[in-house]
Amino acid sequence: MAEYRTHMKIIGDILATTRDDLQDEDGASVTYLIRKANISHSRISTILKTLVSQGLLEKVENQGSNKYKISQPGREFLQAYYTFTNFADNFGLNI
Amino acid sequence: MEFLLENILNLVGFLVGLAIGIMSYIGFRNTGSPTLFRLTIAFFSISAGFFIIWSGYMVEDFITKTGSVERWIQTLGIAIQTVGYFFIAFSHSIKSFFPKSSYFRSVGIIPLFLVSSVQLEHIFRSVSFILLAYGAIETMLSYFENRNKGAISVAVGLGLLALGEFVGWYSFVFPESILYSVSMIIKIGGLIALFIPVSKVPLTKIKFDDLE
Repeated sequence: MAEYRTHMKIIGDILATTRDDLQDEDGASVTYLIRKANISHSRISTILKTLVSQGLLEKVENQGSNKYKISQPGREFLQAYYTFTNFADNFGLNI
Repeated sequence: MEFLLENILNLVGFLVGLAIGIMSYIGFRNTGSPTLFRLTIAFFSISAGFFIIWSGYMVEDFITKTGSVERWIQTLGIAIQTVGYFFIAFSHSIKSFFPKSSYFRSVGIIPLFLVSSVQLEHIFRSVSFILLAYGAIETMLSYFENRNKGAISVAVGLGLLALGEFVGWYSFVFPESILYSVSMIIKIGGLIALFIPVSKVPLTKIKFDDLE
């Protein structure tokens, strides 16, 4: 059975992909993120827009296509996310 | 002896609740997670409940010197703690029953059948026991899924708090026995077990309010 992922977990997966698993130095394309984060196109578009507006991701235009890289606040958010995921795990909860 | 134990219990409860509440709040501010928001409310409520009872004992000891704490202070403190236990159980309910099934509705009404009608304080103690036992079971089940050792400590902590609540409630049947002191010692042990995994969270690396 597929594991249920919270909205926060999906954001964590997207940020982790843009930090640890980039295709090249320019960043990750939407298609690549869809595959890695296992999420639909319509849903990821909304999330990416939010993450860019919050300053957690940087949008890089490259040869007519958009790529996404994690920003410094994004790295710090991801670190906080991992810390508090572990904290909530202690209570048997998901953040 | 009872007075001393009661003071230690309430002070430890206040400090442990406050520490976990602050930790949850920092987590909520950094991630915006609704789960951490519920934990914040839960542990600040638990902390406030213990603080109110502790204040009652302090006022009695240093100011009024009547020999017993005002009943309404005790009841108010326990009621606020119960709100905290409710939010812990509520978080587990959301995780376990949503969005999967409507089973939540049938479990949600169990406390209504089990509450005592003797006194308000007894009602709150009964509800607290149910919520704590539920929280302990759910936390233990999550350990079997994730194998996170901290979950064992939290499950034991919630379990001991539930047992302490039960023994404390049972001591009303035998008022002069050692049961009430035993219940307080069990609860102190529960609070310490609850704090152990939280004390290991590496908070120094988190920059508070960095995203604002």
